[in-house]
Amino acid sequence: MGKLFSNPKLLTAAIVVVAVLLISVAGGALGAAFGAGFLGGPIPLIQLPAEYITEIGSYQLMNTFVMFWLAILVLFFLTFLATRNIKEVPGRWQGLFEAFFEAFIKLAESAAGGRRGRMFLPVVTAIFLGVLFSNWLGTLPGVNNIGRIESVEEFFELKLKKEFNKEGHGDLAKKLKKEGFVHFFEEHGTNPDVEHALEVFFSEHGEDGFVIFSGESGVGFINLGRGEQWKVRLNQVVEAPHDLHDQEELEKFIHQVEQPKILPGVEPDEDQDWTAEDVAEGRVGLLVPFFRGASTDLNTTLAIAIFAMASVQFWGFRTLGFAGYAGKFIFNPIKDPIGAFVGLLELIGEFIKVISFTFRLFGNMFAGEILLIAMGFLLPLIGIIPFLGLELFVGVIQAAIFSVLTLIFGSLAIIAHEHGDHDEEHGAEAH
Amino acid sequence: MNALGINLPGLLTQLISFTILVVVLYKFLYGPITSMLDQRAERIKDSLEAADRARQDAASSAEAVEQEMANARQEGQRLIAEAQEAARRAAEQIEERSRQQAEEMIARAESEIGQQRDAAIEELRREFSGMAVMAAERVVERELDASKHQELIDAVLEEGLSSSRN
Repeated sequence: MGKLFSNPKLLTAAIVVVAVLLISVAGGALGAAFGAGFLGGPIPLIQLPAEYITEIGSYQLMNTFVMFWLAILVLFFLTFLATRNIKEVPGRWQGLFEAFFEAFIKLAESAAGGRRGRMFLPVVTAIFLGVLFSNWLGTLPGVNNIGRIESVEEFFELKLKKEFNKEGHGDLAKKLKKEGFVHFFEEHGTNPDVEHALEVFFSEHGEDGFVIFSGESGVGFINLGRGEQWKVRLNQVVEAPHDLHDQEELEKFIHQVEQPKILPGVEPDEDQDWTAEDVAEGRVGLLVPFFRGASTDLNTTLAIAIFAMASVQFWGFRTLGFAGYAGKFIFNPIKDPIGAFVGLLELIGEFIKVISFTFRLFGNMFAGEILLIAMGFLLPLIGIIPFLGLELFVGVIQAAIFSVLTLIFGSLAIIAHEHGDHDEEHGAEAH
Repeated sequence: MNALGINLPGLLTQLISFTILVVVLYKFLYGPITSMLDQRAERIKDSLEAADRARQDAASSAEAVEQEMANARQEGQRLIAEAQEAARRAAEQIEERSRQQAEEMIARAESEIGQQRDAAIEELRREFSGMAVMAAERVVERELDASKHQELIDAVLEEGLSSSRN
């Protein structure tokens, strides 16, 4: 302690650390409970599906696609660095990738027994690198908190479209997309399908939080900090029409969505810096992040899992031949009923593996992302730091698990099925 | 599926993106790097073998050098021994010759001395005989008996010579 007070540098550093800690505690969610929380911001709307940035025709460009492409581009760049000037005496990047491939070659050869283990490597190493970089890029600053601001109308339209799709009214959903919210309701407002969908929509989504934060329309960002005080329920912003057949009622509803306002009786807190006018004038809305970690989208993880398991089947068929590999799963149910049942289970297992691959990676990375967001709210400024390290670690671990499991499944798939024990059984029966 | 966010366009997008990633990494990263690794492994194997061969060569040539050196050493020792032998012989010869010369010289000197002595004796004898004759003549002047006197003279001379020799 004496040493701490005698050294001015150490003392200053200690004071700064303590000050930052106090500020972050006071400015965060804990401080907000006692009226501080000056580092406030609304919590982003956490949802499983990726958010779309823009629509090209009917194709939705998701923020996770952008991150995946970014990861791929980073990998292409590293590839370029490593192999543009490939030499016997390696440069830095070449040496790094050589060490990486060397490790995987050793692993594959020990798993599959010898040189044939190498056939797994192009896919296995690509899985490792792809997953690793999409995991790691998800921890970059700006991911999840810089984005487009979605107005109430847009939010509404998107949710309604989903509702129409879910109800099986694909045509209506397409029309809604094509004509836009206002025209659609003017044209189809009295359609019983629309009425039904709207009813379902409000019963299911009315309580959904429409997160309000101040910001000009266009590009916005969320300050990390305070919790959910600014989240307003959708049916408190926009009131559902009671009777769609009533033209007046319908027009009122459309007008509400176009010019949303906080319904009477829902007064904003006094310390909020937005007002009902901000909502009405479209200055506030939901933040749709431009970037979201690619592995927090089930499409990405499912795509990689399908690719991995398809590769496993391909390796199996190529090594054992069609009959050899199919013979692992299909048995004559009359001769060998137990074998047939086990084979069926194994066949199902191949599909289960896809699912487990998908959700293992997705679950870990999505939970990590939410953990980072939550820590940003609880302890802004510093709370996120140890968890960033944790997320980097989890990113490597998940990449390793995904790729090594693919390798293991691959090396299991190329092992010829042992008919020995079944033959022995039949032999025993014959005697 | 919709609530989970899985949809066909998204799935296809990611599947195509990932396939492109796999293909590009295979073509431009995995392929070149592993072929370089194999090439280097091959080269290391080759150079290890070459080093082995070189080591064996070096070992055998070292042996040859050793052999050569042993031969040379033997040869040198043989030459030294020969030279020592020759030197010894030459020394012996020289000694022999010098001894002979010395002996010759001594012999010559001795003979010379002998001759000179004989000559001196002869001369003395002659002188003494003359002197004796003269002495005898003197004696004879008193009593002349030549033969008896000659004996006497010889005896005198003999006496005289032996006394002079000593």
